[in-house]
Amino acid sequence: MNTFELKDVAFSYSLDIQIFDGLDLTFDSRTTAIVGQNGAGKTTLVKLMKGLLKPSKGTLLIDGDSIDKQTAAQLSRRVGLVFQNPNDQIFKTNVLEEVMFGPLNIGMSRNEAEKAAREALRKVDLESKAEDNPYDLSLSERKLIALSSILAMDTEMIIFDEPTMGQDFAGKEKIKAIIEELHTEGKLVLCILHDMDFAAEVFERTVVMNQGEIILDGPTRDVFSKKEVLEKAYLEQPYVTQIAHALGYDESFIHESELINFLNKND
Amino acid sequence: MNTMTLYVEKDSPVHHLDPLVKLLYVVAAIALTYILPEPLFIAGVLFVTLLLLLVGKVFRNSLPILTLSLFLIFSLVIVQGFFHPDNVTELFSLGPLVFYEEGLYVALILVLRVLVMIGSFSVLILTTSPDEMVERLIKKGMSPRIGHVILSVLQLIPQMRATTSKITDAQRSRGMETEGSMLTRIKAFFPLMGPVVLNSLNETKERSIALEMRGFGSSMKKTFLNEEKQYPYNKLLGGIIIAIVILGIVWRVMA
Ligand SMILES: Nc1ncnc2c1ncn2[C@@H]1O[C@H](COP(=O)(O)OP(=O)(O)OP(=O)(O)O)[C@@H](O)[C@H]1O
Ligand SMILES: [Mg+2]
Repeated sequence: MNTFELKDVAFSYSLDIQIFDGLDLTFDSRTTAIVGQNGAGKTTLVKLMKGLLKPSKGTLLIDGDSIDKQTAAQLSRRVGLVFQNPNDQIFKTNVLEEVMFGPLNIGMSRNEAEKAAREALRKVDLESKAEDNPYDLSLSERKLIALSSILAMDTEMIIFDEPTMGQDFAGKEKIKAIIEELHTEGKLVLCILHDMDFAAEVFERTVVMNQGEIILDGPTRDVFSKKEVLEKAYLEQPYVTQIAHALGYDESFIHESELINFLNKND
Repeated sequence: MNTMTLYVEKDSPVHHLDPLVKLLYVVAAIALTYILPEPLFIAGVLFVTLLLLLVGKVFRNSLPILTLSLFLIFSLVIVQGFFHPDNVTELFSLGPLVFYEEGLYVALILVLRVLVMIGSFSVLILTTSPDEMVERLIKKGMSPRIGHVILSVLQLIPQMRATTSKITDAQRSRGMETEGSMLTRIKAFFPLMGPVVLNSLNETKERSIALEMRGFGSSMKKTFLNEEKQYPYNKLLGGIIIAIVILGIVWRVMA
């Protein structure tokens, strides 16, 4: 998959509130972060992309071909979505079964599915929990289970809804490594985030969403240098950027290492 | 947006009635169908019930419930028409099976009675906020525990509906076909049942923990959040309902 395109998309849950009205957006091979305050419409956007919701107007295209006629189940072979709330996604009583559910549905044999599932669990360091009941695990572990259940399906595009929420440093590092691996494998990676530092550190492109509209879209560094626009959407710059600014430097820094190198050189 | 109850929030005279009066109506309407088992009479009770649904602006909301009961009604007519022990007068026959008039008569009463039951319960449930009803009952001395049971039961269907759509989304987003032909839908239905029941049990457990945390089990006398509503025609309406029931009993005994 090279591109995933939304053209003139409109959607609303109820008649009185329109969530999207004529949204145009294209995702490509650059790893992309979507940020925006609560209720901006981020989750709604990715549910539309997964075919779980149907737009009232507009089309969605993969590599230029419309996917409007495809069911969510058909689409699931190509686009994977890790839900924001793992409790909305997990429904089996055994971790391995849960992770194997997707692969089995898209036509893998039991053997292949189990192999894919164990491999995916290994990537999130939870192979040891394969035989547990997901309900007995902690929320952060369940989030990783949900993540690995999509990894195991080996889709061409993978969307994460808030993967870092509730994860400690080690958990975030795991997620970062997974995203980078997926990117090198040539997959489209899209990630909804509230964590600006993580967005700045990991993603090539950032899209800022506010009340169903795209107000900023571009290389992550450019986007996070637009302090005023971000503030309008009630977002903060990453901490590194804020620190550099407070120190009186004009360049925009988005990686810790950049600022450290810069400071070392200036000493 | 409150999808967690069957209650339909509207402004109508029926909505403003005391929940206890509506509860009394349910009991009285059902009792009357037993006290005077005449088709014409039960049809009258049914008529009043449907009228209440119309006045309460919930007639349309009650239709799905009534339609669902059609299956039960249909089987009642079939079974009674063919097999009721008093059957003598033949109406028509299907091969070796004969359909009788007496059975049809019995079935008619049963059908009307079922409709009265469903209709009057619909009046109560669709026009009464569960909170209001349970609070009213607890004020009258019912145990808060039973109140909680009633509320949970009333929430069961909407809650299961919510869980079902959540799990369906989780399944189809991972490649399980749930849309399209009848067969696909039926095939998708069975793997759904386990998770839905399990999820509901889990939610119930979590809710009971949350309740305990906030002192639900404490033996202190509880106070109420909502101010007591005034129901002006309470005594009058309650009196009329009881009078009609007594009249019905008298009629039955005399005749
Ligand atoms: N199932 C639903 N029915 C009705 N309205 C909904 C539903 N889901 C979301 N909404 C509303 O749609 C708007 C956008 O919601 P959405 O979940 O897409 O926001 P979000 O950007 O993902 O927010 P968050 O950062 O909190 O996850 C919100 O105003 C929300 O209240
Ligand atoms: Mg969201």
